[in-house]
Amino acid sequence: MIWLEGVSYLRAGGPALEDVTLGVSRGELVVVQGPTGSGKSSLLAVAAGAQAPDSGAVWIAERNIAGLQASSLPYVRRNIGYLPPEPLLIPDETVLENIMLALAVRGESIDSAEADARETLAMVADSAWEGRLARSLSTGQQRLVALARALVGPPSLVVVDEPASGLGGDDRKGIASALVWARDCGCAVLCATSDPAFAQMLVDEGGRRVHLEGGRMAGGPAIGLVPTPAGFAGENASEDAESAEPIPSSDRRSSGEEPS
Amino acid sequence: MTVAWILRRARRPSASARRALWAAAGSFVVLGLVCGATVLGLRATRGWMSTVGRSVHVIAFLRDEMESDQVSQLADLLRRRPGVARVHLVEPAEALARLRDAARPSPATDSWLNDLEPGYFPRSIEVALAPSADLPQRAAELSRRLRGLAGVAQVDAMTNGVARLAAWVRFGQRLGWAVVLAAGIAALSFLVSAVVRGREARRRQAQVLVILGETAGNIRLPANIALAVAGLTGAFVALVVLRIAWPALLAAVEGALGIIPMPAGLFLGFWESAVALLAASTFGWVLGYLSTPVPGWVDA
Repeated sequence: MIWLEGVSYLRAGGPALEDVTLGVSRGELVVVQGPTGSGKSSLLAVAAGAQAPDSGAVWIAERNIAGLQASSLPYVRRNIGYLPPEPLLIPDETVLENIMLALAVRGESIDSAEADARETLAMVADSAWEGRLARSLSTGQQRLVALARALVGPPSLVVVDEPASGLGGDDRKGIASALVWARDCGCAVLCATSDPAFAQMLVDEGGRRVHLEGGRMAGGPAIGLVPTPAGFAGENASEDAESAEPIPSSDRRSSGEEPS
Repeated sequence: MTVAWILRRARRPSASARRALWAAAGSFVVLGLVCGATVLGLRATRGWMSTVGRSVHVIAFLRDEMESDQVSQLADLLRRRPGVARVHLVEPAEALARLRDAARPSPATDSWLNDLEPGYFPRSIEVALAPSADLPQRAAELSRRLRGLAGVAQVDAMTNGVARLAAWVRFGQRLGWAVVLAAGIAALSFLVSAVVRGREARRRQAQVLVILGETAGNIRLPANIALAVAGLTGAFVALVVLRIAWPALLAAVEGALGIIPMPAGLFLGFWESAVALLAASTFGWVLGYLSTPVPGWVDA
């Protein structure tokens, strides 16, 4: 579903990512663990199509989004549920409206979006929040709402950055369950955390853990259930990004990963 | 995003965006009033200036006993005088027609004007002098000479009045342009400030929508629609206010200046109004485009 190939990403202070290769297939949950400043957020922003890599390729479905025109990026992004490090919500809109937006962008009808948003909110957080304005929520609550927005649908790729940050025991279990639910729905789930306990919780649920240190994958490329690069750059590469279909998983040819 | 979603979002702006939208609509009203008043004001002053521009400096009203050939001889004599630019013989019928043209139609004036007959008006000779620094003296000299003629009943030297009126109109035009400029700048500044405030309110919203995969066009569309509607509404309100208030304002100015009320040009025409509404909504649409910043990439 997603394959980052030799991705490097520079920030003002120096390289945030150096030659990172990572793959996540449909129905797979990958946990990127690493200390603060190891490049996790940069990796996830690049994976979610929110940031362009300085070098390397980011294959999502059959598209290398690093080479896409800016006008084509939205069609890739709408198939990705992304929770950024700061939960970006529209403060003057209700919780339900914020979640529904993800479905609005995908063209779902208003009634159907409302039902789906309610269902996902109930799974991740508290249904009673649905009428509250986003700005009235605490940071932790906003994070849960942003997670619900990332999971609603669900999209074919879910990219979540520190979803459990600052949250307590029950919320963490709920988040882990929601991510596992998304994986079981067939999504490729990529989750970053600096919290070893939360990472272990996901690994216990069948997640695959990879380590990121100093912008590099510890132990070399971390490739999971993904097709070969040739498969991504196949004959359909010239089609519109809008019409891109998810890639079915193939053989595991991984290295540098821990057993789950 | 479907049309239903875009309309829903256009109808539900955030509180801060709503305030900015109201401010923008108010600015459009002011801008519409300024532009409309400028067009109507220019039209009014053009009418006044055409009256002034006839440049009639001396009018000699003739006695009824004066024969037509004597009148023609007098006119020819005047034409041959040095410094005379134009001589025009006004027959009673023309004098009545001029009065009817100049008076604004109303039930009171209509019946009064209909009762008038050309015979009530004397023939007159209008003399326009070539412009020069000593024009008032030359007009006074000509008036004195005409008064001495047997067939002339009365002589009216218009020089001072015309010059004074022309000066007032010129002064009024300058003052009007200064007011229009100041009000236009104020309204535009207010509009820009409202758009900038709206831009800040929409920045985060646009950032969220970019992450969710919305296209730049659809992100901007709700603001485009909202500001186009604000422009249309503002222009419509301005047209209604001008329709109600302009005649009274113009009558007050004309009364103060002692000018005969103009028969036409009180209101903007249908096509002028249509163009104003179209221009305001287009301007609103463009402002909506500018008021929504859409980042290509999002800060991680």
